[in-house]
Amino acid sequence: MASGNPPSAPASPARALRLWLAGWWTLLMFGARLLVLLGSKSSWRHSQRRLMLHLFYLATQPMLLSFCLGSAIIALVIIRIVLATALSYGLSRYALDVLVRTLVLELIPLSAALFAALRYTLPAAEGLRVSRLQGLHKAQLARGLDPMRDQVLPQALAGILSSWTLTLLSAALTLLLTYLSVYGFSTWGLDGFVRGVGQVFGPVIVLIFLLKTLLLSLAVAIIPMLPAPREGRPGADIGRLARLLSVILLIELLSLLGNYY
Amino acid sequence: MENQQNPLEPSPVAQLDLKARLLLAALLLLIAAAAAFVLYARGAFERTQTLVLVADNAEGVVVGMDLSFAGFPIGRVNRIELSDEGNARIIVYVPLKDARWLRQSSVFTMESGLVGAPRIRAYSGILTDPPLPDGAVRKVLSGDLAAEIPRLVSGLRDVLTNVTAMTADDAPLNEALRNVQATTDKLKGPRGALGALLGDDKDAAKLITALDRANTLLARLDGLVLKTDGLVAKADTQVFGEQGLLRDGQASLRQLNALLAEARMSLKKVDAVLIDAQGIASNTRSATADLGTLRAEVESSLRKVEQLVNEVNRRWPFARDTEIKLP
Repeated sequence: MASGNPPSAPASPARALRLWLAGWWTLLMFGARLLVLLGSKSSWRHSQRRLMLHLFYLATQPMLLSFCLGSAIIALVIIRIVLATALSYGLSRYALDVLVRTLVLELIPLSAALFAALRYTLPAAEGLRVSRLQGLHKAQLARGLDPMRDQVLPQALAGILSSWTLTLLSAALTLLLTYLSVYGFSTWGLDGFVRGVGQVFGPVIVLIFLLKTLLLSLAVAIIPMLPAPREGRPGADIGRLARLLSVILLIELLSLLGNYY
Repeated sequence: MENQQNPLEPSPVAQLDLKARLLLAALLLLIAAAAAFVLYARGAFERTQTLVLVADNAEGVVVGMDLSFAGFPIGRVNRIELSDEGNARIIVYVPLKDARWLRQSSVFTMESGLVGAPRIRAYSGILTDPPLPDGAVRKVLSGDLAAEIPRLVSGLRDVLTNVTAMTADDAPLNEALRNVQATTDKLKGPRGALGALLGDDKDAAKLITALDRANTLLARLDGLVLKTDGLVAKADTQVFGEQGLLRDGQASLRQLNALLAEARMSLKKVDAVLIDAQGIASNTRSATADLGTLRAEVESSLRKVEQLVNEVNRRWPFARDTEIKLP
């Protein structure tokens, strides 16, 4: 992890660039350390597995109802708008395609990741920083324990899994709402609906969707946990949030490029 | 270490371990269900047969596109490739349960609309034909609405040019309309249709004079017909009256009938004479046959006499030629 406090005087552009690059390098190293710990056998000992499981539940359960409800309401509004617009232009046969692409492929993974960040990973990272500033991590290290393995990794994993859960659950709910909005409470359109959804989910689209969901969940789980060089000083939280948003924007841009170019 | 309490862990939850396991199981189930749904929606679990559609141009065709029959999707494009002949080969997978709609006489079309991707459709007119075999190769009939538009605009431009030419001031159509106007003016004039037909008032006057003369002629003809009627009555009396030609003719006919009866009798007599003559002729024919026999006998006797003379001559040469002729 990067250490040392920057001078309070305004930095020159070269120094700012160096600091900026050093920040990204620190992030990469931090992520790599977490991945190494993820593959380590000691990370999966019984007590750790139990802790991970508990944290996953504690991270996900409070968000489930509120996120599903919120995403369902927003999805219904968007579905109605798209259906009414498509119908008025005589393009209703493209409505399903547009809805699946807009909601399931683009909006839901993004909103689920942001929701997980706001409701779980950012507060959890704040707690970690507090304990670090209180010197609890140094005490653990002195006792031969690794706070990265025993605290950061389980919480990051809980953030990743909660993001996946929200994405999948919300996608399923949105598909259900789309079917009900297009065909009503009957089963006659099930074949056409499944076929239409299948046409959207081509192999490349599925791969991009999986990669996007994975990368977004990694971003919201890891970036908030990153110890900033100016930890405890004003602007450190804003800088972390800006980095998180820029990474999310980059992932979204790459996924759009992959899907539509 | 094992019992270390996480500083961020909130207040304990009842049955936390069980609930956490259930949530994880639900997540894994959700992932598996999503994967299965996508595979099912992509038709991975369907038994299919292959249909190869050959098109000149596969622009706009994408993998996963439907092949529809009567508005229902019955197959989907699985692969698009370029053949050695330079044609696009569209490989379509048709589920076996829907393959019954495709027959050997089925026709396949690809229609490109103004909006959206082209549509591949199948038409099966005769559903009693043999079913389409697996791997069948069929030509696609293409119809491109977007390609038709420039042609349509070009045609429309020609039509507009023609209409402009037709409605020009010196156009034949305008001339014709002006002539019609002049004709209708003449029709409304004092000479009416005659004036319009003949064009000249003098000619119309001549025609009217000719009509008057024809009327006079007809009146004369009427008188002539009356006279002819009297003549016919007289002829009737002379021909069909008591002393008329018809009665004389009838008497003459009766006499002619009697004459004919007599003639018939005479002919019968002649017929009998002819029969007799025929008998005489047959007798003569038999006599002629006897004469033949007699002649044969005479000829035979003569030959015998000749042979006898020859024999006598051979034995006694009365008239032997003694002169010796030298070659």
